[in-house]
Parts: sequence; structure tokens; C-alpha cells
Amino acid sequence: MALLLLAPYLVSSRIIAILNMMMISAVIAVGLQICTGYAGQINLGQAAFMGVGAYTASILASKTGLTFLLTIPLAGLSAALFGFLFGLTAARIKGFYLALTTIAAQFLFHFAVLNLPSTWLGGSNGITVPPAELFGLRFVSESSQFYLNFAVTAIMVAGAFGIVRSRFGRAFVAVRDDDVAAGIMGINVAATKANAFLIGAFYAGVGGALWAYLIRFVGVDQFTLFHSIFFVAMIIVGGMGSIVGALIGVFIIRIIQEIIATVGPNIADSVSFLGGDIVFAGMNVVLGGVIALFMILEPKGLMHRWNILKSSYRIWPFPY
Amino acid sequence: MVYFINDIITGALIGLLYSLVAMGFVVIYRASKVFNFAQGELVIIGGFIVWFTTMQAGLSLWLSIPLSLVLAGLVGYAIERIFLTKLIGESVFSMVMVTVGLLILLRGLVLLVFGPAVRPFPIIFPLKPLFLGDMLIPMNLLIGGIITIVAAVGLSWFFNRTRSGLRMTAVAEDHVVASSMGISVKGSIAVAWVLGAILSTIGAMIFLSGKSLTFLASDIGFAALPVALFAGLESIGGLILAGIIIGIAQSLTTNYLDPLIGGSLGSVVPYIIMLAILLIRPTGLFGWRTIERV
Repeated sequence: MALLLLAPYLVSSRIIAILNMMMISAVIAVGLQICTGYAGQINLGQAAFMGVGAYTASILASKTGLTFLLTIPLAGLSAALFGFLFGLTAARIKGFYLALTTIAAQFLFHFAVLNLPSTWLGGSNGITVPPAELFGLRFVSESSQFYLNFAVTAIMVAGAFGIVRSRFGRAFVAVRDDDVAAGIMGINVAATKANAFLIGAFYAGVGGALWAYLIRFVGVDQFTLFHSIFFVAMIIVGGMGSIVGALIGVFIIRIIQEIIATVGPNIADSVSFLGGDIVFAGMNVVLGGVIALFMILEPKGLMHRWNILKSSYRIWPFPY
Repeated sequence: MVYFINDIITGALIGLLYSLVAMGFVVIYRASKVFNFAQGELVIIGGFIVWFTTMQAGLSLWLSIPLSLVLAGLVGYAIERIFLTKLIGESVFSMVMVTVGLLILLRGLVLLVFGPAVRPFPIIFPLKPLFLGDMLIPMNLLIGGIITIVAAVGLSWFFNRTRSGLRMTAVAEDHVVASSMGISVKGSIAVAWVLGAILSTIGAMIFLSGKSLTFLASDIGFAALPVALFAGLESIGGLILAGIIIGIAQSLTTNYLDPLIGGSLGSVVPYIIMLAILLIRPTGLFGWRTIERV
């Protein structure tokens, strides 16, 4: 942990940039983990929730000049509200029908941004975001942003560990495992599901705000269905129902993404007809393959493997 | 008034095209209980197969269309064998996620193999529209609409009346029960995917005939999704009505409401209908009432 704090002095700025992306993805993936992994609510709209947060933060920052200390939580809240609306549908329908409404969230978000008057949300031009500022200190360089992201990510992840241990978290698990049984035990199932979306979307919103401050520009193309699927891939690889699993998943998927982004252009030179699309295409092939492989071979994710390994180490030399 | 009627007819025909693509969803669901998110990608793969056999291999249409359908069926079969057979009996989440994985996997593969270039698609149906008085009806959509209705009636008969169709319906009810009744779940899912891929290819021919082909055409899969849900995922005949309603609603919104508000509300109208139907009547108009509410 302490080593991570010193990271900007130890490693190159390229790695700091990757770490920034990882931390932001971690916030969002942890939110998705709570919503999907713990509460069992399929969510294919996490990128839209992230987008709502990013747009809220950038509009507040660019038009009202609020400090990021306020815009980041407000971004989370607005995303949470948006998520809650779709969570209400979760109270009525389940399974893949739910996945469909979250896809609808994705399309509605896209539509709203592109078709509302462009003075509101910037339309297809996007919005430029002023840098985060605190006591005259501007978070412009990669390493200063590293600390901002690190602080927020640490708070959010610590909060996630708290949430899943609390009565809410236990209610999530109960609803995921069997919602009828959970209802009989006195858990308000509908409210619990809506809460799961609320919390998941709050995390996405905060992550979106960090993203807005990192990239300093938001556009609707940054928050597509594909990005939602990438986040789902992260928690599937890491392991459903584990915060650490989400972090592992983020780490692995982002590394893969970096490798493709680095290797891709070299390959693109040799097969020129693909041009710049090779990174996107390669990403899709690899992630789609990873999702399908994990669902077929190890649906519980890497965290489950690790737990098996740990327990077999602990009881060695006995088989059980 | 003539324009109004024309808009309604064109809207209904586009709706029927959505129905045909949505039929891919329904057939796969109806025979395997898997909701295939990658339907749009199957359409685009079908499109590329047709393009390859006609434009690249230079076969005549009479030869290339049946060949394309066979090839598409093989692709569907391969996808089913590689990804879906292994998941029989797994949770809904696994099934949904595998098809979501397929969605991005196939999109990536199509991009890698064919690249982002825009290609001309063969003219399968006559380009000249049908003039009906002052009205003008696109020929590909008209023939497509007829194909859709024929396909819907045929498949509906197959699933509701024939012995093998009813076996597949049993698989959609419950994998475990079906296989303990001696029904081959694997076989049923295989047939479903072959049919789904073939229907998607027919959809691609109607949709793309005489237009240009890029990987972006797969968006039709998501445009057809509301139709499948509106009709209810188990009803093949209902797709016709649902497609016509959604097509007309979309066409009227695009032509009369959008100029007023200056946006493209038309493109989201199907989704608004879909959200409404999911909230009011999650089983759709004609679906089985099996959805559990909490």
C-alpha cells in the first residue's frame, strides 16, 4: 500500500497513466460487483451509469465551477438516481429480462445526450472539463491525478468492504441466493434490489466523475454498451461475489487492454487494411473469448481458484 | 393523406423486417431457453456470407442464396457446439453472459476478418419501388414482408403442431425435465441455432439488398429486440403484429413528431415501448406467463 503511494516517484509516467485507468475502472467494477456479484442483479448498463456521473461532474465543474470535493459525490448521486430508476424495474422482473432493461438504459442515455439541445449536454461534441483544483493546487499532471484517484478509490473500496459486511450486504447475498427465501426471512426484496442498483450506480457515477477529471473531456462514445460489457468481463474474470475478485479482474483486463493497445498498432502496420480498428477488434475478440471461456470453464472466476488453492495449502498434506 | 398512408405502409413493412430478425431471437429462445444477444452479429455474418458467395466468389444469385443459407446454418451449428452445448443446465446468468460474450467476440472477429471497409451488397430484390397510385413502396421490404409472414406461419405451425416442434418447446420449458422425458436437449439447441442463423441471413438479404455492407449493420439486432419482447419471447405469430405496431409507431414518430421537436425520437420509440411493456406486462403480448415476479 505504502509502496503504491510512492508510485509516482518510482515508476514511469506511462505506468502511472495505466494505474490511473485501473483505479477508475476499479471503482466502477466494484460497484458492478456489488450490484451483480453480491445482489445478483444482471447489469449491462454500468457504462451508462458511469456516463451519467461523468456528465454531471463535467457540467457542474464547467458551468458552476464547483470544487471536485462536491462534484464527485454529486456525480455519484445523480448516477445513483438514474440507476435507482432502473432498479425499480428490477423489483418487478428478473433474470435476463432485467439485462434487457439495463441495455435500454444504455440506449436511452445515448439518445438523451445526442438529442437534447447541445447547450445542455454538449450533444455529439462532448464537454471539456476544467481540471480538479484544491487550495490552488491543480490536478493536471498524471502523478497529481494519481493521488486524487488513489484517495477516492481507497475510500470507495474500503466502503465496499463495509457495505458487503453490513446488513445491506447480507441482504444482497440473501436475495441473490434465493429471493423467495429472503422475502420470508423479512427482507424487503424489491427495496433490496433497487438498493443494489442505487449503490452500483453510485460507484459508477463516482468512477465517471474521476474519468471526466482524468480525460478532461467527456463524449457519448466513451460510455457504450461495449464498455459495460468490459466491466462485466472484469468481474467475471475476477470472480463473482468478491470485492478482491473485482480488483483482480480489473487488473487483468486492463493489462490485457494495454498489451493489445501496445501490440495492436505494430500488427496494424503489417495488415494495413484494418487501420486503427484493430485495437477495438482485438479487444472485442479477446474479451468476448475470455467471457465465454470463463463461463464455460470457471464460472466462479479466479478468486474461486485462489480460494481452493489457499484451503488446500492450509490443510496440506490431507486432502480435506 | 396519401403520404400518411404511405408512411404507415412503409413503417409496417420495416416493422416486418424487424419481426424477421426478432424471429431469430424467438426461435432460439423457443427451442433452447437461451436468449441470444448476439443476434445482430449473426445477421452481419449472414450478410458477409452472402457478400462473399456473390461478389467475391462470383456465383449467380440462384446458386449463392441457397449456399449462403447452408453456410449460415453451419456457422450457427458451430457456435452452438463450441459455446452453448457446454452450458446446458447452467444458470440463466451464464447463458446470458455467454451470448453477451459472443456479441463482442463475433463483432471483433468480423472486424478482424473483413475489416471496417464499406462493401457493396448484391442486389437481391429489385431496386425499383412499387408505385401504387401516389404511393411508393420499397420492393425489398415488400417481398421481405411476405417472406416474414410466410416464415412466421410456417415456424408457428412447426412449433405448435408438429411432434419435433413440441419436443423443442419442452426444452424451452425446462432442460432437466425435457431430457428426463427422453428429448435430446443438445439436438434441440442445435436445430434452434441453425434456424436462427438461417433466419438472420434471410434478414440480412432483405435489409441490405442493394445497400452497402459494413459491420455496423449489426445494429439491426438491437433494433429488433423490442419487437421480440413486445410480442413475448415464445410467440412466433405474435411477432408479426408486434413488428407492425412498432414499425408504424416508429415511422409516424420519425415523420411527424421529430420535425416538431428537432430530434431523432424515432430511433428510441421501440425502446420506450419495450420498457413500458416490460413494466406493465413482462411476458409481452403473447408470451407464456411464466415470468416470476417478486
